[in-house]
Amino acid sequence: MTSTESVVSRYESLNRSIPRIDSEDKVRGTLLYVTDIRLENALYAFTFRSKVAHGKINRIETEDAEKVNGVKAVLTYKDIPSLNGYGAIVPEIPVLAYDKVRYYGEPIALVAAESVEAGLEALSRIKVDITPLPVIRSIEEALDDNAPKIHEKGNIARHTIVKKGNVDKARASAYVVLERTYETPMQKHMYLEPEGGVAYIDENGTLNVIAGGQTPYRDKLQIARVLGISPDKIRVKNSPTGGAFGGKDDVTVQIHLALLAYKTKRPVRLTWSREESGIAGFHRTSSKIKLRTAAAKDGTLLSNEAAIYLDSGAYQSFGPTILDVSIETINGPYRVPNYYIDAYLVYTNNGLASAFRGFGAPESNFAIESMMNELADELKMDPIDLRLKNILRTGETGPFNNIIRHSEGLEEALKRAKEVFYRPDPSTPFARTGVGVAVAIKGVGFGTLPDFPTAAIEVVPEGKVRIMFSNVDYGQGINTGNAQLVAEKLQIPVSQIEVYHSDTKYSPDTGGSSASRSTFNAGNALLAACEKALSELRLEAASYFMTSSSSVTYRGGNFYYKDRSINIYELAKRLRSRGKSTFFEATYEVPRYPEPVEGTLEVPHMVYMYGVMVSKVEIDEMLGKIRPLEVDFIADIGNVINPAIAAGQIEGGVIQGLGYSLTEYYSYDKDGRPLNINYTTYIVPTAKDSPMINVEFVRTYEELGPFGAKGVGEIGIIPVGASISDAVADAIGKRPYRLPILPWDFI
Amino acid sequence: MSYESIIVYSPRSLAEALDILAQRREQIRPIAGGTDVMVMIKDGVLKEKELLNLSYVPELSYIKESDSSILIAVRQIGSPQIQNLGTIGGNLGTASPAGDSIPPLYVLNATVKLQKVGGSREVPIDKFFLGPRKTVREPDELITEIKIEKMEPGTYYFFQKLGLRSANAISIVSAAGSLLLQEGTVKYLRLALGAVAPTVIRAKDAEDAAKDQPLTEQLIDRIARLASEATRPITDIRGTAEYRRKATYGVVYEALYYIMKGMGKKVEYGVESGS
Repeated sequence: MTSTESVVSRYESLNRSIPRIDSEDKVRGTLLYVTDIRLENALYAFTFRSKVAHGKINRIETEDAEKVNGVKAVLTYKDIPSLNGYGAIVPEIPVLAYDKVRYYGEPIALVAAESVEAGLEALSRIKVDITPLPVIRSIEEALDDNAPKIHEKGNIARHTIVKKGNVDKARASAYVVLERTYETPMQKHMYLEPEGGVAYIDENGTLNVIAGGQTPYRDKLQIARVLGISPDKIRVKNSPTGGAFGGKDDVTVQIHLALLAYKTKRPVRLTWSREESGIAGFHRTSSKIKLRTAAAKDGTLLSNEAAIYLDSGAYQSFGPTILDVSIETINGPYRVPNYYIDAYLVYTNNGLASAFRGFGAPESNFAIESMMNELADELKMDPIDLRLKNILRTGETGPFNNIIRHSEGLEEALKRAKEVFYRPDPSTPFARTGVGVAVAIKGVGFGTLPDFPTAAIEVVPEGKVRIMFSNVDYGQGINTGNAQLVAEKLQIPVSQIEVYHSDTKYSPDTGGSSASRSTFNAGNALLAACEKALSELRLEAASYFMTSSSSVTYRGGNFYYKDRSINIYELAKRLRSRGKSTFFEATYEVPRYPEPVEGTLEVPHMVYMYGVMVSKVEIDEMLGKIRPLEVDFIADIGNVINPAIAAGQIEGGVIQGLGYSLTEYYSYDKDGRPLNINYTTYIVPTAKDSPMINVEFVRTYEELGPFGAKGVGEIGIIPVGASISDAVADAIGKRPYRLPILPWDFI
Repeated sequence: MSYESIIVYSPRSLAEALDILAQRREQIRPIAGGTDVMVMIKDGVLKEKELLNLSYVPELSYIKESDSSILIAVRQIGSPQIQNLGTIGGNLGTASPAGDSIPPLYVLNATVKLQKVGGSREVPIDKFFLGPRKTVREPDELITEIKIEKMEPGTYYFFQKLGLRSANAISIVSAAGSLLLQEGTVKYLRLALGAVAPTVIRAKDAEDAAKDQPLTEQLIDRIARLASEATRPITDIRGTAEYRRKATYGVVYEALYYIMKGMGKKVEYGVESGS
């Protein structure tokens, strides 16, 4: 159930579940995803990957491969014109390995050939000589004093301590102190469209890279750094992308494509197979989090001590900022007067960890919310009452010196959760049932990091408004949501809006689709562009009416003066006829605290989303089968632009979280080879595994957001692990401390 | 290996298919639905460079019923989506211990007909498999027919598989059984277990223990325990050996419990009263 009643919409664009504007093409199958693009005369590209997870490269031989008929290029690190590195935060990931390999599947060479056969033949003729080094497969192994160093600086990519108050004193006065260790697995995104794309140099000499991605302008910069050419000579287009979930936020194929097109001067196509995506694509950081949390007899939280370890894999992509979000969310949405957070980002030989929906929050949430549930047990308190007692209220100062702008939505959601918090009856004589709860918090956007999204609109005399932004619609529906925002602002039907997005040729730099930021950031930038347009058009209308602009009124796409009117498209025509532009661009400064909290890069955020998830499960202890029966998810995402799309985001997040909680565990063998690299062995849930999911939105309004909206993309997945494991604990009387909860863990 | 380097023969009759097989022998791999062979090609693990496509062989597509048996030709297996490509013959030929059509065939005392130019033989299902992906089929033989016994009216039967998800999951444990009850006493039990040994196995000790005994919770516990002891499972990416042993107990116990309680229609566990 979703709240569909209008909160603020006056022009019927907001708070309505209009169909996605791209749904017809998707249903008809006419939408061309980036990996569907076939260019004439294109070369087929392949990647030669390391079969050793950790080793020193002695020699790379490509002569034999180059001799294969039809092979146009075999590239190694020697062919990289400028920086051999990329990475969203620190450019330390080699584009092509040169001195060492640090994970199984690390790219060493690239091949471009006239045919698939020639390309594969060339791949088989590349020879590498690598001296294997001991493989580091876990956080524990990496931190061992005698562990071999994966990087020269050691195996700790980042270490920070963030603290407040006096935890020792607080703990000494506590009624209950619990100390627990929680573990979460690596998770693969398993998007239906694997990483891929095409690249070509056009007649103007611009290098075009069209590939599945999330952040076109950053991709463009990363390509430019490697090629040593100006970003102005590069165009990146990222859309339509068939699923991303954070796994395409950093560079995947883009630089390889660019290199090959740049070197061969030919169009190039490169698409990873499912297994290649499984081996070399990004995954979520695994975590190990030790918590020691203290509470008073009445449930008041007194202190929280956390040791957070995240496995970044062989390199840092978004690792440093993922660590920040895990730090920020380890205190939950609670009043924690004393805390001590000791956080580590660790290198291992486990592939490449990077962004994944939730970005460190699901990891921390499993720990703190499991802890809250166990504290409630210890205190013999209702777990929802324990939360109601400890949540920060609107106007209070949070643990990171942030003022809570709004939390009344969370309070309402918790109260609503109470109504559905009961244990259902078992359906078979062998089943036990349980109910569980967890609360999620996640900041919208990049916290204290500067973020200046730019967006534009163009009023086209032919009766269209084009809206332009660089965020990618990879299935989450941002194109529709942003069209609704602009339609509302301009008081015109959504059908008059055309979206140009995620293409550096047409879209200004609004940033990428990540951190649940696209509605908030692109939406606000678009609304600012609308303001500019309306202001300019009002002047033009005043000139047309031969009056002052203050006597002109605007309604439903028309300017009025006395009994006369003129619509925005006629005004655009008048402006154009005088050579004036009807393109309006604006930059929005995302509100943020001026400085991060000491020891962090981006903590805290200003705007937070909230979610409360109640799960009901049935467990057959004889078979070790856990079946989620029903999920109630009550969310505070601010004003809801499109309830169906927003609910879809939460449902998708919940199902992805159920996989994270019950079936998915990306793993490596003793030699560092990934074991489950396709859908046969990496078990993502299907529709058949999905329980009934009831999504409700509490009605809130965030004044900073576009028409009161916050964000939604990540909140669904965050509380799933703790909520499901609480329900399992309720059913079998034993609390899980590790995800996923597998059948063989408890029978 | 890429698809283009594979030669595909598509015979239009059984005789033609057997001829090709006789000539090509080890070089050729029979393929029906291709749900397994195509994956092997993609993964580069198929050793044969030629395929014998059985899709256009009309003689391989029928179900015949006689008084005592049902003959199923290899191209007949009906299920939605991707599985509707798969065939029983293919499932047998692939010889995975986790093949889901195999335990029911054990319970139905199936025989497999292997045909070649100038001759044929019938092999009982429990003599057909030699190990994972290994069967008694000679390179010039084709699986052309599967014969199963008809179950007596009133026979209970069940099939239960455990996978980590509800659809498109390779079994961690599977079990098929049939059981005839007369006034609460087991006349016979047949029990086959999948994915818990190098081949599908019959739990003979469990079957013997059940014969002529009243179906009580004590008996069910004994049967389930004997079934569990009959397994020789491995630990792999899909599950641990210990779990497979325990879950075998659970699967068998639950199936028989529902039969005892007369709850044969309990869809959740795939138990229906036979007819």
